[in-house]
Amino acid sequence: MALLQVDRLSKIYQQHHAVQDISFSVEEGQCVALLGPNGAGKTTTINMLTGLIQPTSGGIHLYQQGTKVEDRRPYMGYLPQMPSFYSWMSGREFVCYAGQLHGLTRKEAEQRAAEWLQRVGLEEASRRKIGGYSGGMKQRLGFAQALIHRPKLLILDEPVSALDPVGRRDVLNLLRELQQETTILFSTHVLHDAEEICDQIIMMRDGRVAIQGQLDDIRDRYSEPVITVVAGNASNPQVKAWMTEISRKPYVLRSELQRESMTLTVSDLELAEREIWKDAMQHRIFIRRFEAGQSTLEDLFLKVVQS
Amino acid sequence: MRQTILFYRKEMLEMARNYKWIWVPLVFLLLGVMQPIMSYYMPEILQHAGNMPEGTVISMPTPTGGEVLAQTLSQYSVIGVLILVLSMMGMVASERQSGVASLIFAKPVSIVSYILAKWCSAITITAVSFLLGYAAAWYYTVQLIGPIQITHALAAGGVYLLWLCFVVSVTVLVSVGVSSTGGVAFVSLAFIALLSFISSLFAKVFMWSPSQLSGLAAEWLHYGESARPTFAILFTSIGSMALLLAVAMFIMRRKSPIGTHA
Repeated sequence: MALLQVDRLSKIYQQHHAVQDISFSVEEGQCVALLGPNGAGKTTTINMLTGLIQPTSGGIHLYQQGTKVEDRRPYMGYLPQMPSFYSWMSGREFVCYAGQLHGLTRKEAEQRAAEWLQRVGLEEASRRKIGGYSGGMKQRLGFAQALIHRPKLLILDEPVSALDPVGRRDVLNLLRELQQETTILFSTHVLHDAEEICDQIIMMRDGRVAIQGQLDDIRDRYSEPVITVVAGNASNPQVKAWMTEISRKPYVLRSELQRESMTLTVSDLELAEREIWKDAMQHRIFIRRFEAGQSTLEDLFLKVVQS
Repeated sequence: MRQTILFYRKEMLEMARNYKWIWVPLVFLLLGVMQPIMSYYMPEILQHAGNMPEGTVISMPTPTGGEVLAQTLSQYSVIGVLILVLSMMGMVASERQSGVASLIFAKPVSIVSYILAKWCSAITITAVSFLLGYAAAWYYTVQLIGPIQITHALAAGGVYLLWLCFVVSVTVLVSVGVSSTGGVAFVSLAFIALLSFISSLFAKVFMWSPSQLSGLAAEWLHYGESARPTFAILFTSIGSMALLLAVAMFIMRRKSPIGTHA
């Protein structure tokens, strides 16, 4: 059942088309990643979904038990890219305030604020002023204030981009837990994160949707066999010559040569592997690492962005 | 309604936490107390100034209580208004600038409640500060200078408070319309100064303007009556305040809460 339906959405600033004619839908319980390089229109799209900016044209519909709702905001939770709060409030006060703005009574809000603050790991800092919070703590506080009213749809703008590796791991784990409870739509340019937790991806470029669909389908459709070879002893001029020679073989579709390694997109993985080993043996080339596999989402992303 | 109260409580708490509830009333109190004391000691101050030629005799007409209180109000018209505008310039503009507005407006909140609560809280601190300062001025004037007719002082105080409320309403509107806090202060002060200046220049045309309120208050203190059309001025003042708020809400709705764009 569709939860969110976006229909030919566009946003034009003066002459600049920030978002052009994008359409997609989100099913209940899914986790959707909005991918794209900086400036692709991800944040503009998200701001339109949350109702913070008005679209130039197109429609956004949210369905609650099959019927379209008038005001989407009660059903959504939103965490912006760089959340800022009232620095004079304590974490607990802010989350409680957010809950009350969503129509909870003071008592309910206080109780749920305590629950969520504990869940995001802020219970110890909850009585401190937000002004003294670190970036990671603010991000977690942002989660608590977005989730206090148990939204049907959680919208996150770059939730992990500004965090250190530990903070990122925490947020991803939290997202994985939340997936069981609610529908999530988030934007990111870290493809690895999207691959890890999402079912569906929407890749944007220059304000348009470049590729969208189920992650598995996209993987099947777009991934290609890839071989990465790291040859030993780069100072040996023979190695360079050998790599150039290999890259011209008929089974190599595309190649990318670095100083001592090469990445080859091939037509037939098994054939290519056998041929390369045989060739290396003949030329007495020492191979330090050999990897045969499928191209990742990142490769697809780069292809989309650069095309 | 519930949401308006929630916003209002938050504003009150914010003003308490950043000490606005201390310094704004304090400034009004100081200004209020200073004027009667200065008037009382003026002859002595001048005598001790030192650079008078030998044998100068200073004789000044002793001001009446009403006059001193009117002078207090004219202090408020300059420094009081400045303090009010400066303390409220960030009300909407800084929330939008910092980005916290995007968290608030992604929730099911009403713009009417939001603006109304901002306005009410600003009016609250203004009224408390002014009444405190005015009461102090009144007390010292009666103690040091002379008696004032109670009805005149009350009426003048009420009318003058309405003028300050008008100033607050202008600041609220400008804070919605202008993005930078400095810009808010400049535009608000310039507008109020210009309105006062023009309406004293073209008194006939601006007979009903809210800027007549301060003159009205002063005349009541001086003479106990005024030739100005009192009720018309009160009516246009309250009406224009409502209009300013309505425009503020309209602009807030049109302008995205996050921004510079749109």
